[in-house]
Amino acid sequence: MTVTIKRAPKARFNWGKIATYVIVILVSLTMLAPFVWMLSASLKLNRDVFAFPIEWIPSEPRWRNYVDIWSKIPLGLFVYNTAKLTVIVTVLQLLTSSFAAYAFAKLRFPYRNALFLAYIATIAMPWQVYMVPQFLMMREFGLNNTHLALICLQAFTAFGVFLMRQFYMSIPDELCEAARIDGMSEYGIWRRIMLPLSMPALSTLTIFTFVNTWNDFLGPLIYLTRTELKTIQIGIRMFISQYSAEYGLIMAASVVALIPVLIVFLALQRFFVEGIASTGLKG
Amino acid sequence: MAAISLRKLRKTFGELTVVHDIDLEIADKEFIILVGPSGCGKSTTLRMIAGLEDVSSGDLIIGDLIVNDVAAKDRDIAMVFQNYALYPHMTVYKNMAFGLELRRAPRDEVDRKVREAAEILDITYLLNRKPKALSGGQRQRVALGRAMVRSPEVFLLDEPLSNLDAKLRATMRAEITKLHRSLNATFIYVTHDQVEAMTMADRIVVMQDGHIQQVAKPQDLYDNPVNLFVASFIGAPQMNFYPVTIRETDAGFAVDFGGTLLPLPPRLTPENLAPYEGQEVTLGLRPEAFFERMTSEHDPDMFAQLDGVVDYAEPMGPEIHLNFAVQGHSTTARLSPRFAARPGDTVTLHVDMSMAHLFDPKSERSLMAGPAA
Amino acid sequence: MTAARAVAPKTTAPKSIVPKTAVTKRQRKRREMLVAYSFIAPNFIGFAVFTLGPILFAFALAFMHWDGSNPIEFAGLENFWKLFEDRAFKSAFWNTIVYTIFVVPLTLVCSLGLAILLNQKIFGRNFFRTIAFFPYVASLVAVAVVWNMLFNPDFGPVNMALYNMGIDPSDLPGWAADRDWAMVTIIMFSIWKSMGYFMVIYLAGLQGISAELYEAADIDGANSWQKFWRITLPQLGPTTFFVSVMLTIQSFKVFDQIFLITQGGPGTSTLVLVYHIYNEAFISWDLGYSSMVALVLFVLVLTITIVQFRLTEERD
Repeated sequence: MTVTIKRAPKARFNWGKIATYVIVILVSLTMLAPFVWMLSASLKLNRDVFAFPIEWIPSEPRWRNYVDIWSKIPLGLFVYNTAKLTVIVTVLQLLTSSFAAYAFAKLRFPYRNALFLAYIATIAMPWQVYMVPQFLMMREFGLNNTHLALICLQAFTAFGVFLMRQFYMSIPDELCEAARIDGMSEYGIWRRIMLPLSMPALSTLTIFTFVNTWNDFLGPLIYLTRTELKTIQIGIRMFISQYSAEYGLIMAASVVALIPVLIVFLALQRFFVEGIASTGLKG
Repeated sequence: MAAISLRKLRKTFGELTVVHDIDLEIADKEFIILVGPSGCGKSTTLRMIAGLEDVSSGDLIIGDLIVNDVAAKDRDIAMVFQNYALYPHMTVYKNMAFGLELRRAPRDEVDRKVREAAEILDITYLLNRKPKALSGGQRQRVALGRAMVRSPEVFLLDEPLSNLDAKLRATMRAEITKLHRSLNATFIYVTHDQVEAMTMADRIVVMQDGHIQQVAKPQDLYDNPVNLFVASFIGAPQMNFYPVTIRETDAGFAVDFGGTLLPLPPRLTPENLAPYEGQEVTLGLRPEAFFERMTSEHDPDMFAQLDGVVDYAEPMGPEIHLNFAVQGHSTTARLSPRFAARPGDTVTLHVDMSMAHLFDPKSERSLMAGPAA
Repeated sequence: MTAARAVAPKTTAPKSIVPKTAVTKRQRKRREMLVAYSFIAPNFIGFAVFTLGPILFAFALAFMHWDGSNPIEFAGLENFWKLFEDRAFKSAFWNTIVYTIFVVPLTLVCSLGLAILLNQKIFGRNFFRTIAFFPYVASLVAVAVVWNMLFNPDFGPVNMALYNMGIDPSDLPGWAADRDWAMVTIIMFSIWKSMGYFMVIYLAGLQGISAELYEAADIDGANSWQKFWRITLPQLGPTTFFVSVMLTIQSFKVFDQIFLITQGGPGTSTLVLVYHIYNEAFISWDLGYSSMVALVLFVLVLTITIVQFRLTEERD
């Protein structure tokens, strides 16, 4: 008796995969379209911006737009102001948050939970709830129309402490204990053990802080009324109100405002999903 | 010198007391093992010695200094953690050198000590790797190496072998024992594994529920457990227990086990037994007290026979563990592998009563140990 | 003897003498406490002065009359009663609710769908993820300008495309300029802007699901659809809870895009609570009343967060 051995048929052609690609590409186009349109419009004359059908790649790109924007408004100053604020806020945020988070995650001291609760309770608190008293207080301190006011209100957030603490909780206590026995002070443990291990969390916090500070416009809108202090977001608003029909220039200025965020994001994004996953930001 | 005394040492977490006023004297250069089921307080005790947990009350003395409130780094101890706690971002070399560098030891001395330790542990070829690239056994060696380079007076080891596979564990047991001899330091070792305790320790401390049950040399602990807990915790397979009644006969004291009279060994003196006359006590017999037949080496006066119904047999290679029921009491015996019995068979086994233990069923203490203090 | 030995001062007293203590318990406890507080202080002081203080001040102001320059007067519950007479508050309240009711579930579904698509092994996966996330990090001011141009009712490309598809000019939506379409425009914008962020959170959640569960389901003969409903969705429960809480809080706080796209109009069609707070404070300088609206907003957010917590607890 011979048994014929047959090969089981291979699974059918994978239509699901094709459908996935189609949907992914369509969605990506939707997400991207406004940016592409922005870029394309930034290289056009005003009268061509709304031409239909849309000419996605301008036949005669008008690079002049990118030259003109710097002289129409003090865009360079605005970029400088924003960069200064963003860098200072991000550095302060990273340092003070990770410092405080270390104590909340790894040290025992009186009122630890009560203090941490004070942070948590304010995470759900809309900024707008207390932005008025905060503004009045800053005015009282004489910080109105200073960059210091914006630094103070953005550098010490509950979010930063919370994010870093969640990450530190995932680092085994044994590591700190081993370091203590090895003879390290708590400051040394923070500096030489915790910081080197918290790149994913620090990157995540950097992206959030950088993006929020760079893009913030309500804060600067309330606090900065003098032109030489303004940030780029307020600058673009100013530009729009002064040259409302200069579509090409408006778009060029908007592209300039987007670029730094894009760079920071692309540089740090490989840590981002890992950072979100390991900091318990997913709940 | 690094003799260590625990005097009425207590640890509480809120309402919960996890270590109850324990007293323990550890001699300089002794290898002492704290053993007990999980949650018995052994790890907490070790962590108090390390300085990682506060002492709630009592005194912890290392050498001639009360160190209750001395920081961990100033206690001249090193610790090996259960999960090794190697710094993930540092190489093996750096991991080992770190403690010395922090103490500002000269660079060449650090280098010499790290290489020496690596040589002893046979991990020189790993020095430039990071912990992620190591196997469990290799990490274990690095953790030991990190502790060794500082040549501390006291080594604390918290279940260091529990994450290794069985074969590696056996190798490392031997290595740690050798290390202890060559390092000339006090070792305090925590484990839940009684095999580790028996094979490595100078003395074993058995703990349960935050109390020390018994402190003794391994063989002593095995031969003379002071209570039911120690008797059942030490030894595998476990000691078998039976309810029996003490009777005084013409030939002296004996126990009545469901109508069968079993003799008692001379180490149980009439003073031990007289107060229990006619009362029920717990008889403990280890699996090796059962024999298929008596030989000329056995003392016939100490032997009795017990019948049982076979439940199942577990061949172990050099021996079999026969599980059977004696008057309804589940029993395990270690017998020669040639002993043939199938489930349901009735077997008659010889019991060497010179190995018998008796316990007071209420206080759970061994009758030999006398009344509770 | 290395340096390590020298640290604890060891006495040479004979054993019989009571051993000495190097540091007292109080000294050590105090030291530990100071170290811990020194870690927290830099952040906490800033946080207490610039966040916690103003929050408490805001709660107090809700029961005051103040225009920012004249002396503060105690107002009792007057600001509270004013809420009921204020028609703008009523619109703001309902608009906030409507916005939340649409944005939360729609964003949730979109971001979950996107996460599942981009969690598969497809070519260029990281590139697509970056694209989906980019609107979230892009400057709101810049994208709002683009949005306004794209959706310009008269000559924006969106309406041009609709017109070319044969829709009658009188039927073309007026988007941000039209009472009935303004809220729709804002909602679309919000979903587009934030779905990438929640997608990343879902991606993290998806990566936390053990592959063994899917392998077991494969062996049990489950199809993709069944695997989604029986494994993926239940396993993502905590993530979904977190996302919905975050989305709800964020929706109640919506302000920026409205300020930039519709300024609350036309009429009061996109006036929301935070916008009302902003108007009352920085336009009318009625700081007490503004804080009262803020207090209402806070109570709403708190209530909804607590309710969501309760619901999940019951479900588990």
